[in-house]
Amino acid sequence: MQSFELLLQGFSVALQPTNLMWALLGSVLGTAIGVLPGIGPALTIALLLPVTISVAPTSAFIMFAGVLYGAMYGGSTTSILINTPGEAGSMMTALEGNKMARAGRGAAALATAAIGSFVAGTIATILLTFAAPFIAEIAFYFKPADYFALIILAFTSVAVVMGTSRVRGFIALFLGLGLGVVGIDKMTGAARLTFGVSGLFDGIHLTVVLVSLFAVGEILYVASRYRPGVGDVITLKGQAWMTKEDWKRSWKPWLRGTALGFPMGALPAGGSEIPTMLSYTLEKKLSKHSEQFGHGAIEGVAGPEAANNAAAAGMLVPLLTLGLPTSATAAVLLAAFQNYGLQPGPFLFTSNPELIWGLIASLYIGNVMLLVLNLPLVGIWVKLLLIPRPQLYAGILVFAMIGIWGLSGQVIDLIVMVTIGIVGYVMRVYDFPIAPVLIGLILGPMAEVQLRTALAAAQGNPLVLASTPLSAIMLTIAVLFLLVPFVLKRLKANA
Amino acid sequence: MFAALATGTAHAQVSVMLPANPGGGWDGTGRQAMQAMIDAGIYTGGVNFTNTGGAGGTIGLAEFQNAQTGKADALAIFGAITVGAIDMNKSPIVLADFRPIARLTTEYDVIAVKADSPYQTLADFVAALKADPGAVAVGGGSAGGVDQIALALLAQAGGVDVHALNYIPQASGAETVTGIINGTLAAGFSGVSEFTQFAEQGRIRILGITAAERQASVDVPTFKEAGFDVEIGNWRGVLGSPDMPEDNYQTWVENFKKLNDSDQWHKVLETQGWAQNYLGGAEFGTFIADETTRIGTVLKDAGLVE
Amino acid sequence: MSNNPETSLPQTGTGDGARAAPRPWWLGLCVIALGCVCLYGTSTLAQGARYAGIGPGLFVTIAGGGLVILGVMLLVQIARGEQFEAQDAEDATGDEKANPVALGTALVAVILPIFTMNPLGLPITAMLSFTLVARAFASRKPLLDLVYGAVLGSAAWFLFTRLGLQLGGFLPFAGF
Repeated sequence: MQSFELLLQGFSVALQPTNLMWALLGSVLGTAIGVLPGIGPALTIALLLPVTISVAPTSAFIMFAGVLYGAMYGGSTTSILINTPGEAGSMMTALEGNKMARAGRGAAALATAAIGSFVAGTIATILLTFAAPFIAEIAFYFKPADYFALIILAFTSVAVVMGTSRVRGFIALFLGLGLGVVGIDKMTGAARLTFGVSGLFDGIHLTVVLVSLFAVGEILYVASRYRPGVGDVITLKGQAWMTKEDWKRSWKPWLRGTALGFPMGALPAGGSEIPTMLSYTLEKKLSKHSEQFGHGAIEGVAGPEAANNAAAAGMLVPLLTLGLPTSATAAVLLAAFQNYGLQPGPFLFTSNPELIWGLIASLYIGNVMLLVLNLPLVGIWVKLLLIPRPQLYAGILVFAMIGIWGLSGQVIDLIVMVTIGIVGYVMRVYDFPIAPVLIGLILGPMAEVQLRTALAAAQGNPLVLASTPLSAIMLTIAVLFLLVPFVLKRLKANA
Repeated sequence: MFAALATGTAHAQVSVMLPANPGGGWDGTGRQAMQAMIDAGIYTGGVNFTNTGGAGGTIGLAEFQNAQTGKADALAIFGAITVGAIDMNKSPIVLADFRPIARLTTEYDVIAVKADSPYQTLADFVAALKADPGAVAVGGGSAGGVDQIALALLAQAGGVDVHALNYIPQASGAETVTGIINGTLAAGFSGVSEFTQFAEQGRIRILGITAAERQASVDVPTFKEAGFDVEIGNWRGVLGSPDMPEDNYQTWVENFKKLNDSDQWHKVLETQGWAQNYLGGAEFGTFIADETTRIGTVLKDAGLVE
Repeated sequence: MSNNPETSLPQTGTGDGARAAPRPWWLGLCVIALGCVCLYGTSTLAQGARYAGIGPGLFVTIAGGGLVILGVMLLVQIARGEQFEAQDAEDATGDEKANPVALGTALVAVILPIFTMNPLGLPITAMLSFTLVARAFASRKPLLDLVYGAVLGSAAWFLFTRLGLQLGGFLPFAGF
């Protein structure tokens, strides 16, 4: 009950006109910058960090709350409309959302993403308000073996579920694993697969791979097969809003996505990748229209988008209660706190309640604001598709270039962009799934650190990997994932 | 502040290389130091920042050396991590080639164990380490960083074979804390600021600090008090370009000396929680040379560098 | 990502139509080659470590070894007549044959920044790449595209530089 009173006080802070203005500014900036391919919430907040020098802390964090949700919304817009996710969390949205947009259902996809984000964001914020201390406590008891098992499960499920062929799915995954090991090994300092190029010492940045595979690969592919007039068929006429059927198919995925996203986002090393992916897999399994997956199934947008937003709220739990950043975005937010000399943690709740509860209250407000702001804009965003194709694709390349060049200003990144762009082209021509590459790249290094930590702490005893109930269960499921289809096939053949 | 951010201004007078990505510690040190210097009226020209992150600052410093050798007004931020990183990455950089301007801050390392750990003192911990180094998994920052060097020095001082240590680098200080609490790690090293709040919550217990004297922020014995002659810190400092003209060099040494005494800088130190630890000019040069030898030796003993 | 799932079933012999399905052997060979690059990269890395039992080389070996094995499996599938249907994308269908000129032009647009970004700066690079991509998509107004590209590149440069992104000088060869 105490949380409730504090929350009311928070609202009295967040609803002050100046703070409302900051929330609005944050939401608009977040959406605008988030629309750019390759520029996700982390980079957006990092870009706005210098502002913290001149603005009062409460106002700055209220603005960042708007930026956080706004950038996630913007990211889903580009995923759906131009098949270029701004960050890993909206990758799954691109899979189905872009197919929907192409089929003239872009407005419905944007709407289900927006409303799903709102629903998930609101529920997750309520959970954050009341359950934060409890959830953060559990996170301490997750051991390296648990994380490792969780990631192995993610690997097997993604390579099996994505695409038409298991071999090609695994090739994509292993390509990602290979890209992930490039750079200096943090555990021993050994340079791996850098071949003496110093620009590769810090590894290949996720943004470079993300933008190259999606934007550059797509541009090359479409250019090679483009016939003037073909694409211009897309008109706004068919861009119907959500139908009754769409609502019926969306609301359960929203809730399931929230249920997956929030707790996993709250785990250290949780992030938004695993829950969005699991949500996609889950919806594909549960859907009555699973044959539509890969062709624009609305569940495949609703679920992952909800999971993504819920994970973003979940990520604030360990950040605010323990000062533990669990994602790139959280790390940047932590830096913002430290700019004010504030160390997030339980003490912040007592020493600075105005700031913490003002921030939490502004999450509710930002959510409403974004929905109000963006639903009418859905029509405008969809109009982006009316830009003539040559100039649209040319513009996408320019923004892709800025996203990559702005990272570190190193020519090596541009060379990597060309190389991976060509790989993306070949993968499209020969029908390899794209997503497993990114999953391998993101989760591969995490799997490696957890595996090595678990083994080193146990002095090399491999049994440690299945030593907790959770890890044993998850590894078993992963093995079943791989074997069951084979067994079924055998049984069918024998029958 | 936008004045400082704007790149390509027509009369930028000083270029500052920040060999880290925006948002990190070196980035903050460089930007805030220059801002405080301008606010205090010590320096009145424009500032042109370049961020080139990667590999403990060696990539940024290499670029700095190529582009700025002999330039009058070119500075670079670096720190203790760079010293180890040069050896670890076999970087061709030689720190002695640059002009030593000032060491600004130092954050000391602390060692912590779980709240209900059997190790009550640093001596208990070292005794356990000596009995079976492999069974005592210790976490901390990335390989060859200050955390690992602190552990190696402690082990050496306690007569433990450095090569036998079971050091497990973690992705962040927060993950080290988690590892300590859930029992994966027997102990962990990190900067003071990352561990104190968890110690105040009673989740972990800090056994010692690597400073020369007791610190006001954490009331724990130093390694020296506990009987281990170890003193090391994660310091940050400023270098001038190689072959910087003598006049400019003296001016910048003087500028940073004034900065160190200014109220503006003291305010930055306070809000950021940084510990002031100034050393200027030639004395700083001697310090860098000593650190290079010391850290190089430890890394060899630990088997991280051939 | 997937289109017709039913085509993933291995088919024997030639394809469904009159013409024999193309067999992209090089695809499997490329995957094997990539795996070999990874394995070659492990030659200087320790596979083991004192306590963990696994060193920095192990994951590279797994990635490389996995790619080699998967490449061989792909070759086997190709030998059995595996079908590769190009993915559908917006504005393009998998049935189209690749247009080498358009692909080449787009590729030049992507490669160009490697050489122009540092000497010419972002705005001019954006202008040139923009025009080339538009050309690859059969735009017939190169002059107008140059203008669009220059405006977009310059506007983006100003906006993001103001926001603190480091995009280099506006016109580096002119000194600012």
